[in-house]
Amino acid sequence: MRALVIDDSRAMRRIVTAILEGLGYEVRGAGHGREGLDVLDEGWIPELVCVDWNMPVMDGLQFVSAVRSNPAWRSITLMMVTSESEHTQIVRALAAGAHEYVIKPFTADAIRDKLGLLGLLPQEVAL
Amino acid sequence: MTLTTTSFDWVRALVHKESAIVLQPGKEYLVEARLLPIARERGIPDVSQFVDSVRSRPDADSNRRIVEALTTNETSWFRDGDPFTALTSTVMPALLAARGPNERLQIWSAACSSGQEPYTIAMLLEDSIPSATTRVSITATDLSREMVARTRAGRFSQLEVNRGLPAPMLVRHFTRTGNEWEVAAALRRMVTATECNLAAPLPRMGPFDVVYLRNVLIYFDLPTKQAILRRVRALMRPDGWLFLGAAETTLGVDDSWERVVVGRSSAYRPLKGA
Amino acid sequence: MTSTDTGERRRAADTRPVITDLLVASTVESIAGEAWVALVGEDEVLVPIPGDLPVDPVSAWVDVVGPWTGSVVLTTGRDTAADLTRALLGPAVPEELEDEDVADAFGEIANVVGGNVKAALPGPSALSLPDVGAAPAVRNPADVCRIDVLWRGQPVAISVQGALPALPLPHPPHENPMHENPMHENPTHENGASL
Repeated sequence: MRALVIDDSRAMRRIVTAILEGLGYEVRGAGHGREGLDVLDEGWIPELVCVDWNMPVMDGLQFVSAVRSNPAWRSITLMMVTSESEHTQIVRALAAGAHEYVIKPFTADAIRDKLGLLGLLPQEVAL
Repeated sequence: MTLTTTSFDWVRALVHKESAIVLQPGKEYLVEARLLPIARERGIPDVSQFVDSVRSRPDADSNRRIVEALTTNETSWFRDGDPFTALTSTVMPALLAARGPNERLQIWSAACSSGQEPYTIAMLLEDSIPSATTRVSITATDLSREMVARTRAGRFSQLEVNRGLPAPMLVRHFTRTGNEWEVAAALRRMVTATECNLAAPLPRMGPFDVVYLRNVLIYFDLPTKQAILRRVRALMRPDGWLFLGAAETTLGVDDSWERVVVGRSSAYRPLKGA
Repeated sequence: MTSTDTGERRRAADTRPVITDLLVASTVESIAGEAWVALVGEDEVLVPIPGDLPVDPVSAWVDVVGPWTGSVVLTTGRDTAADLTRALLGPAVPEELEDEDVADAFGEIANVVGGNVKAALPGPSALSLPDVGAAPAVRNPADVCRIDVLWRGQPVAISVQGALPALPLPHPPHENPMHENPMHENPTHENGASL
């Protein structure tokens, strides 16, 4: 399984990447939404994208809307991972097309639980 | 006073036995931080003293609290999701068909800890059954007064709502207050939380249509397991459903139950005439 | 993005809230505590004891723009910021930690704490990207909610501070005249110094 991790913080990309690699994912990173779209445009289509909200150039909400507007990317599951944590912000992200939402700060277990809900835990670690 | 090696080793052994989780040496700080609230709740100022008292007079509830405090799993919503899927796909449709339209259904979440299980049930029912909030009542019990109070309050930290609660359910059923999330008033009204010691004669409750008694029996010896199952059965409707933890069973403990497969989960139903 | 209230309206209306009307220190403590436990390490506790910040501190902050406008500023010693970075990255830590790594990681902690502080305030508000360096000056000592804690024995200060100078009082006391330029306010109120 493949995952794209989009966050302007290198530290956060490393943390999320380490969690996903530990679950068996092949992971690529991007520093903002535009870079994330570039990866998809290359034809590298992951099962999962973890995307931050506040980033330079293109924020996570714009990225989610862009992915949702392209039918070729319909199979991608979008999970926002952000410190934006008002009720209204979560509603906005879901309305824009995000499937799940993880509030920073999170633990590795939180990511794993959410992937379990989404049916995106690689089989060998599903139990 | 810091945790003694003997106390730490005893806690490590307990946690490993019950959860298969290994606490590495050097995690004394973690044990201190997690167990201090439980020690204080019992009026013991210090973790080593608390552990010593449990070591000298072991009791299942203290063991459970220690293991839960040191394993992060206990706080998940939809913990081992299958028993919840079974509720909405099979159990509730069967019960609703068997009961009159004005009959209230009663569900018991035994050992509810801070409330994730009863509120998971409440959310699922509200999302899948018309007028669930008036038709179903959920009794949530725990031995710990603090856990009962937390369940009653229905407030959860940011870290707690991150654990396995689907975001659409979070926004549908919770509001944010300060740094916490509070479950909707209608769902809080569905849940009645009270203190209850499973290892002693049970208070008058029920009769229950569904009982969730998960990850509790593992902490008790065989005679106590048998006594708990007998008492639980006495509070259940004859066509009720009992859900145990994934690693628990009535088989070889109490033969008055029938094990039935529900989706990917197992439930236990009182055997007629047993 | 959200349409944001920059606070201008309230400033004009003379009813601008100060942070202590909106936020209590215990909320900041619990937000920071959760951030540390989740990100830095599960047994990394913040002890609510004030300590003397070193002479050469570093700050990371995010700005909140909304009904209340200001910054959420974390300040600690440079060595402590580097230790925080190592703890945050865990096994993913690079062999040679560069200044950029520390700025990035410390800034991300400010983002996490700041985002949750923002969510505890009346909204809608917007959150800036993090900044790292010398802390922004405190503009109005009455518009500050600050906690001082120890992490691994080292002092860390978290200050939620307004971006706007105090409103003129109906009868301003002469020892506290309003400045035209808030940058020239009393420098001892800078975040790195003890309040």
